Amino acid sequence: MMPRSWPTEVWKDPWSLPRYRAGALWLGGILFGIVLISAVVGELCVWGEKLFAFLSHLGLSVVVVDWIWVLVKLGCVIGLIVANGLWAVWWERKISAHMQSRLGPMYAGGFHGWAQTILDTVKLLLKEDITPASADKVLHALAPVVAIAPCVIAFAPVLFGKELAAAKLDIGVLYIFAFAGISVIGIVMAGWASGNKYSLLGGLRAAAQIVSYELPRGFSVVPIIMFAGSLDLAVIDQAQAGYWFGFFPRWFIFYPVAGQLSFLFFLIASVAETNRTPFDIPEAESELVAGFHTEFSGMKWSLFFLTEYGYVMLASFLLAVFFFGGGAAPLPFLRFIPSWIWMMGKAMLMMFVFLWFRWTFPRLRVDQLMEFNWKFLLPWCFVNIAVAGLILAWGMR
Amino acid sequence: MIEAIAFYTFAAVTLIGAFGVVTLRNTIYSALCLGLCLAGVAGIFANLGADFLFASQLLIYVGGIAILIVFAVMLLGRTSDLHLKQVNEQWAAAFLIGAVTWVGLWRAAKIFSHTPLPIPEAAKTTRAIGLLMMGDLAVPFEAISLVLLAALLGAVFFSRKENP
Repeated sequence: MMPRSWPTEVWKDPWSLPRYRAGALWLGGILFGIVLISAVVGELCVWGEKLFAFLSHLGLSVVVVDWIWVLVKLGCVIGLIVANGLWAVWWERKISAHMQSRLGPMYAGGFHGWAQTILDTVKLLLKEDITPASADKVLHALAPVVAIAPCVIAFAPVLFGKELAAAKLDIGVLYIFAFAGISVIGIVMAGWASGNKYSLLGGLRAAAQIVSYELPRGFSVVPIIMFAGSLDLAVIDQAQAGYWFGFFPRWFIFYPVAGQLSFLFFLIASVAETNRTPFDIPEAESELVAGFHTEFSGMKWSLFFLTEYGYVMLASFLLAVFFFGGGAAPLPFLRFIPSWIWMMGKAMLMMFVFLWFRWTFPRLRVDQLMEFNWKFLLPWCFVNIAVAGLILAWGMR
Repeated sequence: MIEAIAFYTFAAVTLIGAFGVVTLRNTIYSALCLGLCLAGVAGIFANLGADFLFASQLLIYVGGIAILIVFAVMLLGRTSDLHLKQVNEQWAAAFLIGAVTWVGLWRAAKIFSHTPLPIPEAAKTTRAIGLLMMGDLAVPFEAISLVLLAALLGAVFFSRKENP
């Protein structure tokens, strides 16, 4: 057996064109593979009905069957969030590396460092869990839980394909925004409980930023809700089915002016809500060490990261449902591909936009951030709602 | 049965949260307990089938107001400044007034406690609420928003005067 050579020797000339093409091909292949796996999982979801019927036939009471059923769905959602953390961190490292002419993880696991985040998780589990002496012990331990629990709950009505969601809620959009807004309590608690002025500043900034950006985030989707006539994500998904002139998809992003502006505002506000780089002042490393999670280590720290990537995925799926037709195919002859493949593909594309943003834009200053929100984003969101009303009034549906 | 378990759980959460707000000596803990209490109220709304009210309660009270209160409390200062006494010398009078009010409420509620109202099915309430706000209740709705706007302007006015 050949001794494994160090990646720097293997990739002595990594930027030769054939090498780069091969790498791009592999990355595309991995993305396609993940989409394929999600498709298989989606197909398996059909078996859910049978599993439910089987549980009912066992002679258990209705209450017990319901409880088991809820636990199964909860397991699926938590599994998705954890798997997404593994995937998104690796992907982010690869994208950041390629944008900065580096290679990123190359060694762990052999192929393009695919096992990097799995091994990182093992390391994080083995790390010492440090609570600073000046910290508030109870809140310091509670903060990561308060941050991640609403993230898991908020996934309940999220559509993963046509009619494929853990819960069908009439108030889906409002429910997601309501729970997504609670996580910031965990961040504020973390900042305060660390007993450290940088953490406290980070927590305060997070509270101010997230409470402010919740407003444009909510108001930017009002045009979408007006077009669809419902807060239910499944209805919003259904409202975009069909094609204009037989080939042009009736997605909300193609509605004149209001659709595009709405998309832009929602994307910007979502990036701000997830505390990611043009808006990552709560954890600005050049000013605040690491902000609210300075004093967290090991698994507590990674729960904050899991929350961040969970919200990135949530925003990606919401963007796919609100603006890109959810599970609808872009062209009529592609309708044979199941809806969950389209949904996953669109969500992954949106996640790429999030990662791309992070490694492209410089960080804003605190006052610029607030000014941008209150003096630009929010007023134009209201204008956008008026535009959507005009579109609806002229019967452009 | 599930409804009863859920109701008593949320009621307990609300009461424990409210009790924590008034008894805990650390102001941060009190503020966080307020969030818990408001979340418990949201849970009771959900249990009664008022889905829109549930989400609004979470969005506005837990996700907005509780966080703003925590924010204000954290700006107060260091940990040592935050351990305030929760009662002053007039606690006995306040307790008496509270007790009298509570007994009155208890007696009023007792009259109706044996005639349970039918709990409505988890119906779609959003459209009905929207139609009411834009139709029958449009004038009171606008009046309330005017009052809120006046309160907002007043807050801005007073905070500017102090710190021009």
